[in-house]
Amino acid sequence: MRPLARQELPTKAVFYSKDTSVSHKIMASASEDVETTRGDGGESPNTKDDEKKEESLLECNICLDTAKDAVVSLCGHLFCWPCLHQWLETRPNHQVCPVCKAAISKEKVVPLYGRGSTKQEDPRDKVPPRPAGQRTEPEPGNNFSGFGFGDSGFHMSFGIGAFPFGFFTSTFNIGEPRPNVGPHGSPQYMEEQFLSKVFLWLALLFIAWLLYA
Amino acid sequence: MTCLSPSERRLQKELMSLIKDPPPGVSVDADQVEQNLFLWTIHMEGASGTLYEGERFQLQFKFSNKYPFDSPEVTFTGSNIPVHPHIYSNGHICLSILTDDWSPALSVQSVCLSIVSMLSSCKEKHRPPDNAFYVKTCNKNPKKTKWWYHDDSV
Repeated sequence: MRPLARQELPTKAVFYSKDTSVSHKIMASASEDVETTRGDGGESPNTKDDEKKEESLLECNICLDTAKDAVVSLCGHLFCWPCLHQWLETRPNHQVCPVCKAAISKEKVVPLYGRGSTKQEDPRDKVPPRPAGQRTEPEPGNNFSGFGFGDSGFHMSFGIGAFPFGFFTSTFNIGEPRPNVGPHGSPQYMEEQFLSKVFLWLALLFIAWLLYA
Repeated sequence: MTCLSPSERRLQKELMSLIKDPPPGVSVDADQVEQNLFLWTIHMEGASGTLYEGERFQLQFKFSNKYPFDSPEVTFTGSNIPVHPHIYSNGHICLSILTDDWSPALSVQSVCLSIVSMLSSCKEKHRPPDNAFYVKTCNKNPKKTKWWYHDDSV
């Protein structure tokens, strides 16, 4: 069962020995164009078969069409850049060659430029078109942690709800001069001292309870 | 042809090559596939010289529109589910290439070959040890199961 996953299509090895006349078909926009031009040449069935075989040597290993914006991995496997890019995006943490499972990355693929291609631009510079659904779907891992963060922050400000209260009273006491403070030793002074102690202890108890709970 | 999505295009190509040049003992129900390109039924024969010689099985392939980047959902269907240590009686198959080891370079044909070879290398016909429990508790979609691939011998 497993060996098959690593099995290569036997055609790959022959890729390098291609004659140049076929190689600019890499840049053909769609395989249909190539297929139709092949049909009307009036060749014998044998050469048609041969050509078809050669054609399949230049097929992308993912979409099975003639490779468009072709790139080759260092392990020698041919892909359309949009196809390979989509596969690398599918498993960003585990980027392997679809054919032989060798390690692979954007930097380690070689773009192919046939003689027929006028524009020598690197296919990797193009932003490959992707299905709309792919982009909107959030990563399950990231989404979860982000949500958890927001959530816990929210709870925090609630849990320490006593602080604004304590803060408020203390600024009240310190910031404002207390014009009504009774003279030293008067019953009003004693009462105020007592109340402030009671509130201090209450606040301390509350903080201790908060820390404990 | 231009209105086909990439997954439809690829499935169409695979269908053509499977009809034209099928692996031994494997055939595709072309009429059914023509009705729905994303649901294939494959007929499979047990290879000769193996424990499954002369038996006929039915495989169902369900594709998503992310195929081939997303693996197909492959199960045995019909009346005869092969008795095999990696195949549950509800048709679910414990095979790594169907989930973790899936690659877009794999195809219906290579999956069929893997399953034929998995059947062929079986030495003793029996169900997986947790069959009764799994069949009662599993999701209908085998891809939702967290498979644990521990046995490479069969």
